[in-house]
Parts: sequence; structure tokens; C-alpha cells
Amino acid sequence: MNEISNDTDFRDALESLDDVQQRQIAVLFVQHVLPMSEDIRLERALKTAADANATQEELAGALKSAHAATFDSHARCGAEGHWADQAGYFVARAAVAATTPAAHARAGGPAWQAAMSARMAYTSMLIEDTSNQSAHSECEWQYQALSDYLNV
Amino acid sequence: MTEIELLSWARGTGLQIATVIFVAGVVIRIFEILMLGRKANLAEAKGAEMSSGLRTVFSRTFPDRGTFKRSSVTIISGYVFHIGLFVICFFSAPHILFLRDIIGFGWPSLPTPVIDAFAVVTIIALLATLVNRLTNKVMRYLTNFEDLLTWFLVFLPVVTGYIAFHRIGMTAPTLLAVHILSVELLLVIFPFTKLMHAFTLFIARWYNGAISGYRGVAS
Amino acid sequence: MSASIEKGINAFKRQIDSTVAAFFSSCVHCGICAEACLFYTETGDPKRTPINKTEPLRRIWKSEFTLMGRVGKMLGLSKKVDDEFLQEWQELVYDSCTMCGRCSMVCPVGNDIALMIRKTREGMAAAGQAPEGLIGATNRSVTIGSPMGVKWPALRAQIKHVEEDSGLKVPVDVEDVEYMLLLSSMEIMNFPEFIEAVAKIFARAGVTWTISSEAFEATNSGIQIGVSDIAAVLVQRIVDVADKLRVKTVISPECGHAYTAIRWDGPNLVGKAFNFKVRHILEVLDDLRKDGRLKMASKETRKLTYHDPCQIARRGGVIAEPRNLINMISDNFVEMPDAGKMNWCCGAGGGVSANERADELRLKVFERKKAQLDAVKPDAIVSACSNCRIHLEDGLEEYNMDIPLLSLTETLAEHLAED
Repeated sequence: MNEISNDTDFRDALESLDDVQQRQIAVLFVQHVLPMSEDIRLERALKTAADANATQEELAGALKSAHAATFDSHARCGAEGHWADQAGYFVARAAVAATTPAAHARAGGPAWQAAMSARMAYTSMLIEDTSNQSAHSECEWQYQALSDYLNV
Repeated sequence: MTEIELLSWARGTGLQIATVIFVAGVVIRIFEILMLGRKANLAEAKGAEMSSGLRTVFSRTFPDRGTFKRSSVTIISGYVFHIGLFVICFFSAPHILFLRDIIGFGWPSLPTPVIDAFAVVTIIALLATLVNRLTNKVMRYLTNFEDLLTWFLVFLPVVTGYIAFHRIGMTAPTLLAVHILSVELLLVIFPFTKLMHAFTLFIARWYNGAISGYRGVAS
Repeated sequence: MSASIEKGINAFKRQIDSTVAAFFSSCVHCGICAEACLFYTETGDPKRTPINKTEPLRRIWKSEFTLMGRVGKMLGLSKKVDDEFLQEWQELVYDSCTMCGRCSMVCPVGNDIALMIRKTREGMAAAGQAPEGLIGATNRSVTIGSPMGVKWPALRAQIKHVEEDSGLKVPVDVEDVEYMLLLSSMEIMNFPEFIEAVAKIFARAGVTWTISSEAFEATNSGIQIGVSDIAAVLVQRIVDVADKLRVKTVISPECGHAYTAIRWDGPNLVGKAFNFKVRHILEVLDDLRKDGRLKMASKETRKLTYHDPCQIARRGGVIAEPRNLINMISDNFVEMPDAGKMNWCCGAGGGVSANERADELRLKVFERKKAQLDAVKPDAIVSACSNCRIHLEDGLEEYNMDIPLLSLTETLAEHLAED
């Protein structure tokens, strides 16, 4: 398996996974940014999503939790926006993507959506904390994570 | 004062005073509105104001279906008495004669039984509007003394006119005097009340249509 | 922004023109406006009757601009307008109204009640009677440039993220282009994928465009709180930059009141016609569609319905365009009852969602929208305003309805053909 080094390959590789695999890799993406969120519901939602034997009802419950987390964390129109809180919002959105059934997922599939939202969460943290001149790139971490997952 | 003197006064001086106050009042109220003017709209227009305004003056007469369903009592009772008033005022024989004396020409009247029917229906509709006003939650909240006063001022001429025409109760001259005086009362108070909507609604609807039409929406 | 009752009364006075006078003169207390207002229909509280919300303005009109009213005032008969009275009305003017304009469409005598409420807010704000949340948003707009405190570096970071993800360029501060895109803070913070969608569509359609680093904010808090001077300052920033960059058209994004502010109020606020056009993103997309520059590769199969944002549709005139666009990507599009210019408000615009005190009321009145949705049972709802979107999601969550909200622009981008 070649190393994934760009988004085209990344997305293609993700879309070639089956539903359970997409969920599992999506969970990995979200868990990497989970510390940015203070919402305890997300950890449980992700655990359910990672379980290959999770039933439809359990997944629906996890999705609902994740959804609720997005509403509680999004910036209100006109309210002062805090980017650190926004990071939490995007983590919740990533969790929503990870728990959304593939048939209802937005373009690219659940794993791609989770990856995008996870990156957004990281970007939000960067906006808040401009002093952190970290060389870390979330998307590169994701490429590596996917490569490792596929090679296992 | 004898009843003939009362009637003469009502038909003569009384009517003149009432008419002067009415006309002056209406003119002042309309002038008060128009002299305020409004600023020209500097945004790029999507539609024409004049034609949109005129369209709304006409179209606002017809409520949309949703509104009609939700406010059918208000709308129906309102239209019935307005139409009734219009027919009675302009198509009853005595009124046409009265107007002919003033403007120089008349037109065919409707038969008495027809006018009678309209009068009865109008009275019922007016009573319905009063009951509606006092029982409908929203109207009750909005209603003030002026609403009740204007209702009474409109109701009185219809009832006294019917009674006068059919000579019920008092003698003919007195009944007629009462009817004419009730109309004069209406005329005199009219300009100070919401009855002005009879004139100003054309202005308001035009503005509504113009403002909305400017943005490309038919209102 | 120091406030006082005298300033308030003067502000009310300045708002009165022949339209206001004609409207107040014509109101016959029929109550029909209440039945068009979701804040009344879903709460049954008659004080929320639209024309009632304008009472402060009416009292000033009567006692200062009518002969009989002035005489009455001299005789001590006019109803007073003081802090206590305005305080009581605050909740009606701000929490219970989004200026959606449905009342203006049904009033039998033709009153534009939403306009009257907008004008009433001017006096309320000057008297210090605007809600906390809106005051904060307005201050941030003036000092920082965004009601939510979004600064250029934050937007730049979002843009960089979008460019990295999509491989597309988001032009910044480019002169002599066709379009300058504005963005609402809500989009920048909550839906940055909107930026990507626009970049993608414009790249495929061959449109020249830019975002300005100096004036990117579309939201106009001045309009929401009702302080025209502030609204003018916010518009002027956009005008200055649009003139500097010599753009042909400024695009208002997926936000309702932003469109009203810049498209219809803008030139009147700054006192001068614009040198450029203003269009809503949907109008621009529809123009591209008409020119054949918008090619779709796929369609939505889900059953879709469209929520008309009030300021864009009924108060803005953009009604056919979204439908033309949805029909490009859907053969399964169903209109909800009252769709189009009479569509029901989501309940959150005009500053209501920025006002925490109004949260419970806002969720209650969502039941009107819920009733419309129950009649259609769509698989997904399409709309074109970020605030409507978030609030509808909130409402759907509250009532346990599982229907996703889609942005029209983003959905079009998803189905766009690769050339």
C-alpha cells in the first residue's frame, strides 16, 4: 500500500472502505481532536460508533448525542465567538459525521466528513492560540493514521 | 323648538356645520400625512413603485386564503357591513334624492324591500362585528374607547335611518331629524378617528405596494 | 452610545414620515395582523399582535404630528412615553419580532407593520431599551468589525484551511474583479464550508471574485438593534472597500438581514447610491445558471423542501431564484404550504437569536415551522440563511425531528460537474 500524501488519494482510499471500516477510521480522526471538546457525551458516542457490532438503535442514539453536542456548542448569531469553543463545535460535528449512516452522509462519506470537521477543529484552536507556531499538520496526521489502518 | 324647526335646522345649518368640519378635518388629516413626505429610495430598484402601489391598492381588498381561514368572522362581517353601507347610502331612493339636490343628478334606486334587506343584514353584521370585537382575544386587547365610539357612530345612522323610513315609534319629522343628526354626529367626529381609514387606506396601501414592489415583491 | 429617554423620543420623531403617518391613521384595530404573526399564533398572547408592538411610535406620532394629538398633549391628555413604558415594550419589540414582514402582507388597510417595528427599534435603542445581547453584538461590530468578534486573522485561517482542503484559491484583496463576496460571522464560524462551495462554483464557472481583508463582514447589527447611524458605519466600510477595489458587484452571502442591510437599506443609510450592484449569492448563482455556466453532474435523490428566509424572499425579492437552482439538482422537490412570499419565519432573525432572553420563545414559535414540515415530511430542508439553518436545526432537535438542513450553495457545489 502506497503512502497517502494528498487529499485525492486520501478521499479515494476512504471511500473505498465499507461502512463499518469508515466508521472506525472516522472515530480515530475524531478521537485525535477529542481533547478540544468538553462535551462528555462525545466519548460515549464514539465508543458506540467504533463498535463493529453496534446495532442501528445504538448508532441512532449516538448520533442524537453528537447532534445535541453541536447545538450546545455552536456560536450563537451575534454572540461573542470564542474559537476555542468553536473547536468543540467542530469536534461535535466530526462525531456527527462518524455516527451518521453512510446512506445519509454528506459528500465523500462519513469518514471524509469526519476528517474535514476534525481539521476544522484544529484550525479553530490555531485561530484562538496564535502563539502556537506548531509545525503539526492535522491532515498529515490523518494521512498517516489512514495508512496505518489500511496496513494493519 | 318644534319638530319641524329641529328638522329644518338639521337639514340646513346643522348639515352645513357638519359638512364644513368633516371636509376641513379630512383635508387637514390627509395634509398632515402627506406633508411629512418620505425620503427618495437610493437603492437600485427591482420593480416600479407607482404600478406596484396601485396594484396593492386594489389587490389588498382580497385576503389570501390562509388569512381568510384564520380571520373569517372578522373579514366576512366587515365586508358585509361595508357593502351594506355602500348600497344603502347610494342606492336608497331618499338618499339619491338628497344627493341629487347637491350634485345636480341622480340615478336609479333599488326597490325598498331590497334596501330593507340590506339594512337588516348590515345591522346584523355590525352587531356581529361588535360581538367579535368584544370576544375575540386579539381584538379585545386592542379595543379602546375610540373603537366603541366609532362603532356606535356608524351603527346609529343605519338604525335611525331604517326606523325613520318605516316611521316606527316617533313622528316622521322627529325620526328624520334624529337620523340626519346622527349622520351629522358621524361626520363631525369622523376626522378625529380611525374612520379616516376610508381615505387614508388608499395612501397606506399604495405605500405598502410601492415599498414592496421596489424590491420586486407583489404585496 | 449613551442613551436617554429624550434621545429615544427624538429618535422616534425622526422616524416618522408620511408612510408611518398613513399607516397609523389607517389602522382600524381589526387584529388580522396577529393571525399572520407566528409569535402570536404559537403563543396565543394578544400583546404580541404586530401593530401593538409599534405603540411607542404611535404615541409619539399622535402627540407630535397630528393637530388633534398636539391639542390633546397641551390638555395633558396624551399617553406618556417614559422609561417604564418602553421597558415594558422591550420584549415585544425585540424578543417577539424578527421583522419578517408577514403582517405587512395581510393588513387590510395596507400597513407595513414590519417597517413600523424597525422604526420603533430606533427609538427603543436610543432610549437604552435594546436587549443585552444585541448591544454587545453592535459594540463588537463597530470596534472589531464583526458582531461575533471575528477578525481578519481568523477568517484568513479559515480561508487557508479551505484552500488546503480543496486545492482552490480564495482570492483576497484583488482589484477590478466582477464580485466581492461578503461573509457573515455565522458562516465563518459555523459553516466555513460555504466559502469552499463558493470557491468551487466560481472556479468552474470562470468568475472573477475576491474577499476583502478590510471589510468582509456581511452581518449588520445596526439594522437588528435599530440604530441607523451604526448601520450606516458598517455599510460604509463595505462601500469604501468595494470602491477601492473597483468591484462590479458585491455579493451578500447566505444570511437574511445582511441582504436587507446592504441591498435595500445600504444606499439610504449612507445617503448615496452605490457605484456597484448588490446581489444575493442566490441571484448570482441563478445568473450563472441562466448563462449556462453552472453544470451539474448529479442530483439529490432525497425529497427536498425549501425554507424561504424572510429577508431574502418576502422582504428581498429573491423567490424564484432558489427554486430554479433547486430544480437543477432535484426531481423530488416539494413546496411546503405557504411557500414563497408568504412563507412562515423560522423565528430567529432580526436579532432574536442573539438575545438569550428570547430562547424559550424562539423554540416555542418554531412549532409553526414544524407544522409546515409535518405537512410535507421532507427528507431534507434546503435554505439560504445560516441563522435560519442553525435555528431550524435547534428546533428540529428540540422536537425530535430528524431532518438535515442543507445550504443551497453548498448543495449545488456538491453536485457540480468536474469540467
